[in-house]
Amino acid sequence: MHSQTNQIAKLSRFDPMPRIITFDDFDYGFCGWGQLVGNYEQSLDAMNPSYQQHTHPQLSNLSHWDSGSHSSWDGTYALKIQTRPVAGARNVSVKRLTFRKAGPIRLELYFTFKPEATEPRLLETDVRSVGFLFDLQDPDEGGNRVMPHIRFLNAENGEHVQKWQFKRKSPPVTPVGNEGKTITHDHLAPNDWEDLPNGHQKLCYNEIPTKVNWHYLRFDFDLENMRMLEMQCNNRLFDLSQIDSMVMPAMKNLWCMLNMGLFTETDTNKRALYYIDSVCLSGDF
Amino acid sequence: MLPLSITAVVARNELWQNQASSEPYECGWAKEAIVYLRALKHPVRTENVRARIEYSPDGIRWVDSGLDFALPTQADQISWIPVNHFGNWLRVAVDLPDGAAITVLVSINLKA
Repeated sequence: MHSQTNQIAKLSRFDPMPRIITFDDFDYGFCGWGQLVGNYEQSLDAMNPSYQQHTHPQLSNLSHWDSGSHSSWDGTYALKIQTRPVAGARNVSVKRLTFRKAGPIRLELYFTFKPEATEPRLLETDVRSVGFLFDLQDPDEGGNRVMPHIRFLNAENGEHVQKWQFKRKSPPVTPVGNEGKTITHDHLAPNDWEDLPNGHQKLCYNEIPTKVNWHYLRFDFDLENMRMLEMQCNNRLFDLSQIDSMVMPAMKNLWCMLNMGLFTETDTNKRALYYIDSVCLSGDF
Repeated sequence: MLPLSITAVVARNELWQNQASSEPYECGWAKEAIVYLRALKHPVRTENVRARIEYSPDGIRWVDSGLDFALPTQADQISWIPVNHFGNWLRVAVDLPDGAAITVLVSINLKA
């Protein structure tokens, strides 16, 4: 079932750079995507509360009470990241790699989002945001830890905002425990998001809360200069060459780190559901 | 390709009191599950309290599967139960009497 022809057909919907680092089709499992657990030492009580809320991603066939299984782009399953049913709650899934060449990389994915269909209404302003992040660190002493963050702010305080945002202000770093080996920082805290220039975009949401349409996303980043390059969502291109990432001094255990994160936030007391059909990470090497 | 097998931690360091449940977990792809519930701290008044396995057709509305198991009564004790026929969502739910409390780590091992 994982035939070469099938794989080529599935990859043809991406525009990868010459080297495919990872191609994650969630019809074949979790593909290395797990939950982002917060840092702690000695006891889970030491974990920052904003991380305590995170839960495990799920393999979903997008089943709904009124219409049954919607299924994914071209198969049955998608990765589902689900918040708790509390306004402002978030959840994050992460895949942890390292890089072997500090050059251009490209993240591509097909995604969609909906709130839990707990009411027979459109519910288009219940999901606050969906987004992605990288957590990167230079290979050598003296370098930096760099964390590009981008989110699609769908709604805020009941307003259907629909715009792309980024974050460059680093949050405070606080130690965890007393061994001097672990820290925490809430880089996905709800503050300090800034608008991308010309970042408004109306995404297809469809007409009831149980119909979904998939979207294409591409994000290019240069690991050599640790700078964003460009983003594409469906038909729209966004120049990111002047957009900053969070930057902080390198940490002592994270050399060549290449982590990818996918996250969602809810704006109301309904669970936000962020679905990802597939992910392709490629590099120019 | 080997069949899928994963462990999902669905409740971590959560204090359960009164009516409590784990977050909905969609796992219709799996054919069997074992649910583990570990007490991370010393439970309070959990003797004779039983948690139940619930199923859901939509992740929103829940039915009692008829499967239940005794809660731990000591710190680090693990209760567990096999679940062999379910879909499309699973969760653990419990009604704790007044004054009872337990801090849980709930993990579900799922196999396709």
